[in-house]
Amino acid sequence: MMKVIALAGNPNVGKTTIFNALTGLRQHVGNWPGVTVEKKEGVLEYRGQKFLVVDLPGTYSLTAHSIDELVARDFLLKGSADVVVNVIDATALMRNLFLTMEILEMGLNNVIIALNKVDLAEKHGIEINVRRMEEVLGVPVVAMSAKEGAGLDELKEKIHQMANGMLKERPVIPQYDPEVEREIEHIMAVLRDTELGEEYNLRWLAIKLLQRDDGVIKLILRHLGSEKLDEIMGHIAEVEARYKRAMDLIIASQKYEFIDRLMHRFVRYTKVEGESFSDQLDRFLTHPVYGLLTLFGVFYLMFKFVFAVGLPLQGYLDDAFTAFGEWLAPHIANEALRGLLVDGIIAGVGSVLSFFPLVFLLFLALSVLEDVGYMARAAVVMERIMRKFGLPGKSFIPLVLAFGCNVPAVMATRTLDDERDRLLTMLVNPLIPCSARLSVISFLAGAFFASHQALVAVSIYATAVLLALLVAWLLSRFVIRGEESPFIIELPEYLIPSWKTVTLHSWERSKEFIKKAGTIILLGSMAIWYLSSYPVQMGTGGSYAERLGMFFEPYMRLMGLDWKAAVSLLFGIIAKENVISTYGIIYGSEEAIAGAMTPLQAYVLGMVTTLYVPCIATIGAVRAESNWKWAAFTVVYMIALASLVGILIWNVGTALGY
Amino acid sequence: MIVPLNALRPGDRGIVVNILGGPTARQRLVGMGLTPGATVQIIESHQYGPIIISVGGVRFAIGRGMAAKVMIRKL
Repeated sequence: MMKVIALAGNPNVGKTTIFNALTGLRQHVGNWPGVTVEKKEGVLEYRGQKFLVVDLPGTYSLTAHSIDELVARDFLLKGSADVVVNVIDATALMRNLFLTMEILEMGLNNVIIALNKVDLAEKHGIEINVRRMEEVLGVPVVAMSAKEGAGLDELKEKIHQMANGMLKERPVIPQYDPEVEREIEHIMAVLRDTELGEEYNLRWLAIKLLQRDDGVIKLILRHLGSEKLDEIMGHIAEVEARYKRAMDLIIASQKYEFIDRLMHRFVRYTKVEGESFSDQLDRFLTHPVYGLLTLFGVFYLMFKFVFAVGLPLQGYLDDAFTAFGEWLAPHIANEALRGLLVDGIIAGVGSVLSFFPLVFLLFLALSVLEDVGYMARAAVVMERIMRKFGLPGKSFIPLVLAFGCNVPAVMATRTLDDERDRLLTMLVNPLIPCSARLSVISFLAGAFFASHQALVAVSIYATAVLLALLVAWLLSRFVIRGEESPFIIELPEYLIPSWKTVTLHSWERSKEFIKKAGTIILLGSMAIWYLSSYPVQMGTGGSYAERLGMFFEPYMRLMGLDWKAAVSLLFGIIAKENVISTYGIIYGSEEAIAGAMTPLQAYVLGMVTTLYVPCIATIGAVRAESNWKWAAFTVVYMIALASLVGILIWNVGTALGY
Repeated sequence: MIVPLNALRPGDRGIVVNILGGPTARQRLVGMGLTPGATVQIIESHQYGPIIISVGGVRFAIGRGMAAKVMIRKL
């Protein structure tokens, strides 16, 4: 068995950078059992010994008010880690030590503190005496600057020593006012009569009970019975009445006072900080007017960069797959096998894979914006606007990701801490046109509207985004009602991102895209090929695909489309770009489509392709992040919406004489 | 003078005396360092939308609804 090293810490403290530095590329990303919280694991090898490094979710405390906190707390509480590395930010010591105190309060004695960003703290005039800090806290402290790689070897050495029992510590435990301490003593005395002490630290249980922690109340109720518990709760209410404050606030503020007293013994502030450049920048970037203009500018440039670099790459890849298919075809004698491989698998999977550069570049650009610290500012600006539609400002990030690919965008809703916000953002996410739909829209716009290409494309995009906001508003009003979630977000210090972290992060996110090409798209391409090749080749009117299309034709007529559109849209459920390639199969070439439709029909097709059922991979992602019920709901409402818009445009368009 | 956080203007400083509201919102604020006894400074505040504050050397944007629940003794 490998020894387990857990990384714990606040968000934005450089935990990920340290995790990457310890494990390199030997990482595995999965989920914590039973919940949709990302679990990252990796292997550290040091002095010939292997350690399993687990990155706990970044949290500010361990009160278990969110899934992230619960996951981190349970992991530490169960003693699953041989060494706990608590990463703390030297520039925000007070707040970071709050989590440290919560960890030490659990009674752990295998904690190492990784004091990160010491170089930055020095610049701010924060002088930390690391040796004194070790004495005061009673645990080993390693001064680090993870971005520069400083302190990494010492951290590994300390981990190695701690894991092998060569390092002993006597951690400090937070002390409270005598009145609170008396309550803690009293509860501990009662708990000593139970078996709880065998599994838990009694002082920790007592403090959590004082804070009215739901999980701990239930646990104690089981062992103690309601009579004794009620008596204790009565005591707590008396203390609260004397302090005129809720008990959890009394404990928290006394914990901060305790930290403050500790800090006086090892920290010195040599500079009084006035308004920093960062503050001035914030004032501009979060301004209701300038901030919004900057945001539009930033995202315009971002998309410009992604498409300028990504589209040519997509073209090369697409050509390469086609060439590969053409090269392979003469080598396969069996006609059915050749069809399956060349027209089915290579054509289908290839056309999806060719979008990988676009997706990767988009995630790269977004990761850079995130690591620079801009995303938090963008969320503040968007909070003012999105709230009007029932969405929180933070949902802006997953919605922007959706322009690349809806699958990672749906997964990115995990960053929203409110369940209701998360569901809302997830359900409207598939309406945002991804890069696959961009290929359909730009193809149709190019083939039918040579002179107004951009206008047509923009109008479809704008309709989709507006509908997403409208649907969010309707859902928050009538379907997923609930209290508006509180908004609070840290504005991390602006930083130059580390390329390693950014590329690794983008790769992790875009990997899903390749995974989907290898699984669902592979099966889908085979199905499409089969339906359009049997019992007779498509184009003669007798293939299964055509019969299926004929069945839906009466419905399609309502929006001016025919069976060909029905087949294309059906195949488009597997991957949206199939809408165009299916027409290619029917007519023999994609260019022939231009003569087969009127511009109005093409416009309706573009719009319906954008709005109808999300692709299978997205449906799967929604199901994985919520449940079948919501995934089915998404499919149904999007079909209804697409039909409605399609019928409306067709009828208004024909009435106007187009 | 004790006022809610959203009543302060840019540049104002104050000490948190109490946090009203439910335990979930309260614990989020506490974990971020906004606890009774902490000193808060307002960096930026507009007619509507989030307020930007500084607590313990860290900057936060906090929604107006939440800010209304944080009671401050103005300095």
